[in-house]
Amino acid sequence: MAKEMIAMLLAGGQGSRLYALTQKLAKPAVPFGGKYRIIDFPLSNCVNSGIDTVGILTQYQPMVLNEYIGNGQPWDLDRLHGGVHVLPPYQKASGSDWYKGTANAIYQNISFIERYSPQYVIILSGDQICKQDYSDFLRFHKEKGAEFSVAVMEVPWDEASRFGLMVTDDNDKITEFQEKPKNPKSNLASMGIYIFNWDILKKYLIEDEADPNSENDFGNNIIPNLLRDGRNMYAYHFNGYWKDVGTISSLWEANMEVLDPEHSGINLFDERWKIYSRNSGMTGHRIKPGAVVENSMITDGCQISGTVKHSILFAGVQVEAGAVVEDAVVMGGTVIKAGAVVQHCIVAENVVIGENAVVGAMPSDGEKGVATVGSNVYIGDGAKIGPNAMVSDNVKGGEEQW
Amino acid sequence: MVNSNVDALGIIFPNSHDALVPELVGERLMASIPFASRYRIIDFMLSNMVNSGIGNVSIIVRKNYHSLMDHLGSGREWDLTRKNGGLNIVPPFAEKTVKVYSGRVEALASILDFLRHQKEKYVVMSDTDIAVNFDFSAMLKAHVESGADVTVAYTEEKLPENFLANRQESKEFYYTLKLNDGRVTEMEINSKDTGVTNFSMGIYIMEREFLIRQVSYAYTHGYVNFERDVLMAQLDTLNVQAFCHKGYIAHITSLKSYFDENMKLLDEENLNGLFTPNPIYTKIRDDNPTRYINGAKVNNIMAADGCVIEGEVENSVLFRGVKIAKGAKVKNCVLMQDTVVEAGADIEYLVSDKNVTITAGKEVKGTDTFPVYVAKYQTV
Repeated sequence: MAKEMIAMLLAGGQGSRLYALTQKLAKPAVPFGGKYRIIDFPLSNCVNSGIDTVGILTQYQPMVLNEYIGNGQPWDLDRLHGGVHVLPPYQKASGSDWYKGTANAIYQNISFIERYSPQYVIILSGDQICKQDYSDFLRFHKEKGAEFSVAVMEVPWDEASRFGLMVTDDNDKITEFQEKPKNPKSNLASMGIYIFNWDILKKYLIEDEADPNSENDFGNNIIPNLLRDGRNMYAYHFNGYWKDVGTISSLWEANMEVLDPEHSGINLFDERWKIYSRNSGMTGHRIKPGAVVENSMITDGCQISGTVKHSILFAGVQVEAGAVVEDAVVMGGTVIKAGAVVQHCIVAENVVIGENAVVGAMPSDGEKGVATVGSNVYIGDGAKIGPNAMVSDNVKGGEEQW
Repeated sequence: MVNSNVDALGIIFPNSHDALVPELVGERLMASIPFASRYRIIDFMLSNMVNSGIGNVSIIVRKNYHSLMDHLGSGREWDLTRKNGGLNIVPPFAEKTVKVYSGRVEALASILDFLRHQKEKYVVMSDTDIAVNFDFSAMLKAHVESGADVTVAYTEEKLPENFLANRQESKEFYYTLKLNDGRVTEMEINSKDTGVTNFSMGIYIMEREFLIRQVSYAYTHGYVNFERDVLMAQLDTLNVQAFCHKGYIAHITSLKSYFDENMKLLDEENLNGLFTPNPIYTKIRDDNPTRYINGAKVNNIMAADGCVIEGEVENSVLFRGVKIAKGAKVKNCVLMQDTVVEAGADIEYLVSDKNVTITAGKEVKGTDTFPVYVAKYQTV
């Protein structure tokens, strides 16, 4: 049974700019938005768009991600034919290789793709928060008679030089590709989401692999090669919410934007485009007597006795009486003890913040840092974590870390 | 069998005690009554069985079971989508006319053939009128050690208020036990004892072969009621042992008790009593987390995911997807899935069923002894 289009999801990124958050897990497995992980977005987009076959390319710290994906059931991707498959690098008769680049990762899994004889392959990235209908993207690709299409976003001109840019004609046909240029000729930034005709992609992957000088990367090698050969390449304009959450501040910001769907454009509350996730299985959350909760998102298993303002709490977070949580992202299972003050920061999973400890600070003049505490860290009673701190080891009671 | 699994199959009677809560079972049965903000009452018994290592569970439905079928699906959430055993829903058997069983003996007689072909040595039977975190493996161990023919679980507690009140003749029976050194010497139906009694939980364990023999005999002799006609009639010859459950238990015996049992879970100790040590599983709805918007004032509530709260809520249990608009006041309420309380509405001591709407500015108040009930899909 042939599939019209299957998805290949690049999830091997280390996410090194997330520091403490990605020491033990891959970036796509980083929790987001109260009950999700980043990878829930592309996976849910796939299933909501009618794509039922997804290969997930993993490499860096895949344990959490593998366990999370499991058989794909939470995304309805446990299918008889197709479904979700985690594809780590593997040993072959002729030796074994890590994935050398994004293109090489796909190259090494050509035989996986061939099993489904797809006409089209969509390449997705596992580190973006975005709700996108890939079937509309495919409709565009077919209408244009394209061999390759890339989803692009208009970005402000003064930021354009930070992106890979597509220069197009009036018919959205790509005429030039500029990777982080000093003098941008376009403000259409590539979102790193591509649709290829499979026969074309396969041909270029094989050719790229044979080139010993290639970095085996889509942006640096495959796309320039397609342009060189004058292939039919088109840019698909996407104007919904899109955020690359590759840095602590962008991850924090994107979480905060979830609290303000009316203005930010990220709406997790859409019945027609649900984001699926693996469930915590905890009981309903408790807001106890004396608690104050304002403009926040709270999920199963939370127990709130203190004050929570403009924050996102993941499953099973406890906020004891007298504790204050403000402008914070607090991930699953973390306990914030009595009198602690947790502000403008990201606290990862299963952290204990001791009594009267202080983590982060509200922004003041010129000081906008997002304090970050890695998973399973113990912050002792009365400890102080400064607004720019990146904590991945236990902090003893009364100590300070900046 | 490895130690973590028990050599027993489970049988659940989801319609037992429907008559106690006529309001709530208009379009469902006892087993699928929503409870504790994100569960259905059957989740407790199913999870208990699964957590005790029982992987073969039959549910003998009688009527109004669409909502239950929808809830259970293939049984995946309870890990009961199994090649061997798993979840087995037994609907009434239709031959010329649909035959609905009238008592437990008939219900069991309808699955005798199935029972004969199972491999488990023991059978665990239960109703779904209680929410409890119960360890069947401990009860089975006690059953085996005592050499009993039948073991029945009970709690030491006062009978529910509405059982003691004079009421019209009810078809629903409840049982209290007289014990002598653990053995049941007497079972009383619908006792009016106002003190602490040995109150049967309606949970039984016996050998499968024993059950088949007893049910075949009873059925051919026209007996209907398992407790009255099988157990009570043979208490002198059968070794019926009692197993005391000491942990937390919630009985649903009336709308009032339904309300009270939900409310009791706002107390930490009760909540932990019900949800520890073993997890309770339920159907997943993939709601987003609950949003508290500026202006929300909440005090002492339990809420599931998917709620949007802009108004004031106090001492209440909110199920999935409840919306409380600006300026609305909710106090001492149990609001089931997708209830909408519009702006300025003021409700107190109210139980709303699924998809109820309380329109703007309406004031609806019950009292602590008599909560108002609003039926499914109704608009006030």
